[in-house]
Amino acid sequence: MKSHFKLFSVAVVSVFTCFANINLAFSATEPKPIEIKGEIIDTWCYLSGVMGGQDAVIGTAHHTCALWCTAGGIPVGVLDEDGQIYMVLKLKGEDTLKQSDSIMEIQSDVITAKGLHYVRDGVNYLIVEDVIANDGISNFNHEDYGSVPPNSFPKKYLSNQ
Amino acid sequence: MKIFKNSIVSVFSVLVGLALSTSVSMAEDFSAGSNAKEFGLEEEVKSTFSAKVVDMVCEIAGDCSDNCGNGERQLGLVRDADNKLISVLKNGQFSFNGAAEDLLPYCNKKVDVDGLMIGDPEEFNTQFYMVQLIREAGSDKWNKANRWTKKWAERNPEAKGKGPWFRRDPRVKKQVEATGYFGLGKEADIAYAKENQ
Repeated sequence: MKSHFKLFSVAVVSVFTCFANINLAFSATEPKPIEIKGEIIDTWCYLSGVMGGQDAVIGTAHHTCALWCTAGGIPVGVLDEDGQIYMVLKLKGEDTLKQSDSIMEIQSDVITAKGLHYVRDGVNYLIVEDVIANDGISNFNHEDYGSVPPNSFPKKYLSNQ
Repeated sequence: MKIFKNSIVSVFSVLVGLALSTSVSMAEDFSAGSNAKEFGLEEEVKSTFSAKVVDMVCEIAGDCSDNCGNGERQLGLVRDADNKLISVLKNGQFSFNGAAEDLLPYCNKKVDVDGLMIGDPEEFNTQFYMVQLIREAGSDKWNKANRWTKKWAERNPEAKGKGPWFRRDPRVKKQVEATGYFGLGKEADIAYAKENQ
């Protein structure tokens, strides 16, 4: 009877701990200092596929659309070299939807940032404390894709100059 | 002895119930009863649920602000069913608009929402939300999540004119003027136009 009770107790604790750990792993919000290098992207077009494949909705091809989306209040992300996305919550002390130029000026740029990394329910979030390097736009994919979407470049550009 | 045994069984039942409800809610289907419009997006799933509207910076980093940042911060949804924080990328409009303006009137309130979960959950560990309809908990009246352009017009009276907002937006125009449509300067724009137009 005593050994049955012991076994039973261990089973109960194991089952509960297992599920509790899964839940905690998805809701952790403890920050970790991070130095991250990646491209500033428009998360909606990248994640939704609304404009086509991921290779076409970054870089120069998507630059103007990224400006539209940022001005439109769509969350900005950092796409790192491993393909992970970090949703930017603050940029150098500034809230990301503040009507300033700071977040507009770095669209499509490859930056190196220092800040705090949070993970909550499977999503990476980033408080950018400082941008320590900006390599500018380094993905010249308009050479392959043109402007994405096509109407993000004026139809009669030359005649309007 | 019998009372002791019954107590152990009861405790076990509660623990297993809790554990199972956790696992079930993680895989719960929220499409039942949704009236969301389909967009044909990546891994799109209709999704309607009850949630609390939260300031994302406050919820995640504990840095809280009056009235959820008064429109200067991204807002999110903590879903009632599983306490999961849902990142909301988009409102129901077609023209490059986020959802903060639509969620702001419900800051820290309980709401019902209807929309689409999008994105490949295997690649990104989760999905993201496009809110199309919203109502305060207990209300019968759904509101369209389409406030953004009206709020933009109020903020930018000098940009009044024809055509979509994003072609008249002062911040967009300033950047395009400074670095061109590809971000590489005017010369790159001219070279592209000469080759393609």
